[in-house]
Amino acid sequence: MSLAAQTSGETLYIQHFGNEEARTLDYYLRQMKGYQALKKALAMKPDDIIEEVKKSNLRGRGGAGFPTGIKWGFIPKDSDKPKYLVCNADESEPGTFKDRDLMRYTPHLLIEGMVMSAFAFGSNAGYIYIRGEYVQEARLLQEAIDEAYDKGYLGKNILDSGFHFDLTVHRGAGAYICGEETGLLNSLEGKRGEPRVKPPFPAISGAFGCPTVVNNVETLCAVPFIVDRGGEWFSKLGKLEKSGGTRIFCVSGHVKKPGLYELPSGGVTLRELIYDYCGGILDDRKLKAVIPGGSSAPVLTADEIDVVLDIEPLMKIGSMLGSAGIMVVHDGYDLIHLIYRITKFYDHESCGQCTPCREGCKWMVNIFKRILNGQGRMEDLDLLVDLSDNINQKTLCALGDAAAGPVKSFVTKFRHEFEARIRG
Amino acid sequence: MPKCTIDGKQVEFEPGENLVEVAKRVGIEIPVFCYHPGLSVVAQCRMCAVDVEKMPKIQTACSTQAQEGMVVNTQTERVKKARESVMEFLLVNHPLDCPICDKSGECDLQDFSYEHGSAYQRSTEERRTYVDLDMGPVIKKNMNRCIHCTRCIRFGDEVAKIREMVAIHRGNDVEITTVDGRALETDYAGNYSDICPTGSLTLKDFRFHKRAWMLKKTATVCEGCSRGCNMEIQQDRNVIYRCIPRENKKINGHWMCDEGRFNYHYLQDPTRIKEPTQLENDSFDWEEGISFLQKGNDEKTLVLVGTDLTLEELKLIQDFTKETLKNSTLLHFGTPGVTTTQEDGDFDSILKRQSKTSNLHGAELLGIKPFDPKASSADRVIVFRGGRAVVPALKAKSKIGVGVFFESDLSGFTAILPGAGFAEKSGTIVNCDGIEQKLNRAVTPPRNAKLIPELLMLWKNQKQSEGAA
Repeated sequence: MSLAAQTSGETLYIQHFGNEEARTLDYYLRQMKGYQALKKALAMKPDDIIEEVKKSNLRGRGGAGFPTGIKWGFIPKDSDKPKYLVCNADESEPGTFKDRDLMRYTPHLLIEGMVMSAFAFGSNAGYIYIRGEYVQEARLLQEAIDEAYDKGYLGKNILDSGFHFDLTVHRGAGAYICGEETGLLNSLEGKRGEPRVKPPFPAISGAFGCPTVVNNVETLCAVPFIVDRGGEWFSKLGKLEKSGGTRIFCVSGHVKKPGLYELPSGGVTLRELIYDYCGGILDDRKLKAVIPGGSSAPVLTADEIDVVLDIEPLMKIGSMLGSAGIMVVHDGYDLIHLIYRITKFYDHESCGQCTPCREGCKWMVNIFKRILNGQGRMEDLDLLVDLSDNINQKTLCALGDAAAGPVKSFVTKFRHEFEARIRG
Repeated sequence: MPKCTIDGKQVEFEPGENLVEVAKRVGIEIPVFCYHPGLSVVAQCRMCAVDVEKMPKIQTACSTQAQEGMVVNTQTERVKKARESVMEFLLVNHPLDCPICDKSGECDLQDFSYEHGSAYQRSTEERRTYVDLDMGPVIKKNMNRCIHCTRCIRFGDEVAKIREMVAIHRGNDVEITTVDGRALETDYAGNYSDICPTGSLTLKDFRFHKRAWMLKKTATVCEGCSRGCNMEIQQDRNVIYRCIPRENKKINGHWMCDEGRFNYHYLQDPTRIKEPTQLENDSFDWEEGISFLQKGNDEKTLVLVGTDLTLEELKLIQDFTKETLKNSTLLHFGTPGVTTTQEDGDFDSILKRQSKTSNLHGAELLGIKPFDPKASSADRVIVFRGGRAVVPALKAKSKIGVGVFFESDLSGFTAILPGAGFAEKSGTIVNCDGIEQKLNRAVTPPRNAKLIPELLMLWKNQKQSEGAA
C-alpha cells in the first residue's frame, strides 16, 4: 500500500496507487482507457506527436526538468543508426519514491507511454533501467510486458500499424551514479557505471553509440494522457507558464501525513503542501528545515517555505525541485548529523573518476565527522563552504553539484548551529 | 583555416582540435593530468579548466573543441581558483615526500603544484593508503601516489590492445590495478611509466638509479627493429640510464616497446669486448689487429655486414671492399629468417616488426645481397656487426669480428676488434617505410674501440706504409 494519498483537483495517476488490481491489463483497459491513446498515436504522424508533447510543456520529472518534446527533437532524423528509448527507473535520489508506485500500480501506463514515445522519434527498441533494489517492481513490470507482448501492444507490427517495438527490463546493480543518464548507459552496455564526457549528448551518441532518449518513468507515463487529450489540455493542468501537467510530490520526514501527493505543477506553495496537505509538523513541533527536491537540493529554512513548488520559483531562491522528494525536518532534529549523513551518501556513491568529487566528498565527510566528534574547528566552516564551491559546477556530472549544494546551504543557513556545536 | 582567440592571441586550428593542443601552438600550456594526446579524452582530472566566452561554467580544455570565433581565457580568477582547488584535492591524499620519490624532477603533479597550487595545506585528515601489488618485472606500482588519471587504463585498452589495467571499487576507494592482481602481460609496459603523471608507476629498471634532473638527453632512434621508433637516450657521465620514446606521429606516435626500451643494456654489459682480442694472445693490440686484417687482403674473403649498421658505415665498407679486397663477396646478415624487405612484416598490430635490426631496408637500398649459408663459402670471413645482428654459424679458416661482441662470442672468432654501438655513433638508418632517420651519438664508445671509418682508414694506410718500406 502506498502511504496517504490525499489530493485535490484532477489527478492522473495517484488514484490508482495502492490498488493491487490496477496493475492488470484488464483493469488498465477498462478503467484507464488503456491503449486507446496508442491506437490514436500510431495513426498520427510521428512529428505531430512530438509537436503535441512540445505544446504540453511536459518537463522531465527525473530532476533536471528539461522540456521533453525538445529533447526528442534533438534525435537526428537522417541517422542510419538504430535509435533507443531508455526509461530511467533507477530512482535512487534519497527522498524520492514516486516512480516505484508508478511501476507497481500502473505498469501498463509506462509501457504504453514508451511505445508511443518510441514511435514519435522512430525507435524500435527500448530499455527500462530499473534500480537493483526494486526487485518486486522489476518482476511486476516484466509480467506487464509479457502481457503486452501477448496482446500485441509490444513486439512486431503493434496493433497492425507496421510499427515494431521491443522492450527489455534491465536491472541495475545498486549504484546511485547509474541514475545519471550517461552512467546509466554505460551500465546498460555492461561497462563500469561512470558518467561520460558530454558532448556528445545521448541524443547523438547514447546507448551503444546510437541516438538515444533517456526519460524518467513519470515523464513517459504522462505521454498517453497528452496524446489522448491534447498538449494544450496537459499544459493547462500546470499553473505556471512552461510547466505543464501534474507532479507527484514525495513527502517524507517530520510531517503528520507523509506520502505521495499529486498536485498541479506550480499549484501550491511549500507551506500549503506541508501544512494543508500533510497535516503539519509531527507532534506539532516547529519546522526547522526543508529539503525540497531530493537530498541533493540545497536546504530551505522555515522562513523560505512560501515559495511556489515548481522548477523556476525554487531555482530563483537558490534551490531546486529536482525529483520532488521533499524532506521535512523539525526543530528537534540534529542538522549536523543530517548533512553528515547526506554527504556520506554522495561520497559513497561518487564513481571516483573526477577529482573534485572523489577527493572533496570524502574530505567534507571527514570534517563533519570531526565536528560531530567534538573536534571541529571554527575555520572548518569556511573551509566547508570553500570546498563546496570548488566542487560545485566543476565536475564531470551533476553528482558533484548534488554533494556540494546541500553542504553549502546547510553551513551558511544554519551556521549558528555548527558554531554552537564546535564551541561545545 | 578557422581561427579562435586564446588569451588574446589569434590561433588557427584544424576543425576537431581541442583547446589544449591549439593553445600549445601559441606557447600557452594548459595543465593536464588525465589528458594525453595519444589517448581518448575523458576529462576526469578537471585540471585543464578554462573560461570560454558565452559559456556559463568553466570548461575542460581537453574535451572542448575549438570553434570559429571562440574566445578562450586561461588566466581568469575563477580558472586559477579551479586549478588551485584541483591541486589541493589531489594532494589531500597524495604523499608530500617528493625528495624520496623517483619521479621527482619530472613529475607533472609536482610541477603543476608549484605553478598552480597553494603553498599551504588545509587538509588535516589522515591520508588514504593502499596495499601494493607486484605488477611483474617492468613496472613498480605505488598506489598511494596515484591520482586516478586513468591514462594507464586507456593506454592498455587503446594502444597496447590489452585490458589489463582496471579501476576497482568506487568513489574515494577507487584503486587502479591489474585484472585480478595479475602481472602485466603487454610487452609495451614501459609506456605505463612514461604516461603516469606521478610516481605511481615507475620502471623497475630505472627507479632509484639516477635523479631525473641529472640526466642528459639525446634525441635518437631505436635500433630494436625496422620500425625505427623515435626515442631519447638519457645518460649521465657516459652511462645510459634510460631510453624513452619521443613523439613521431608518422612512425611510433608516443610509444615504444619494451624490447627497444631496454635494448641499450647490452652496450653496458660487463662481458662486452672493449679491447682488440685474440684467444691465447695476450699482446694482441690494434696494430697487430690491423696487420692481421691486411695480411688476408688477397684471400678469398666473405665480408658480412650486419643490417644493424648505419647507411654511412655500410657504404664505406662496400666501397672499401670493392677497392681493396679484390677477391671478396659482400653480403648482409641480421635477423634469422628475415633476409629481405619482403620478409619484413609487422610482428604485432602495434609497432614491432619482424626484422630485429634497424637498417635492413638501408642495406637493400645499397644493393647488398643477403647472406645465404648454403651458397657461401670462403677461406676468411670478416663480420661487421653493430650489436643486434645475429651472426650466422659458418666455418672458415679465419673469422674476424669487427664491432660489438661479447666474451661468449670469443670462441667462434679468430680475432675480435671492438667497435661502437648504436648509441655511441651518429649515422643514418632507413626504416620499414623507407623513412631515413638519424642516429645521434649519446655516449662515447669504449676508449679502445674504433669506429668503422677510422678502422678502414688504418687498414688502408698501414698497408701503404708497408708497401713503401
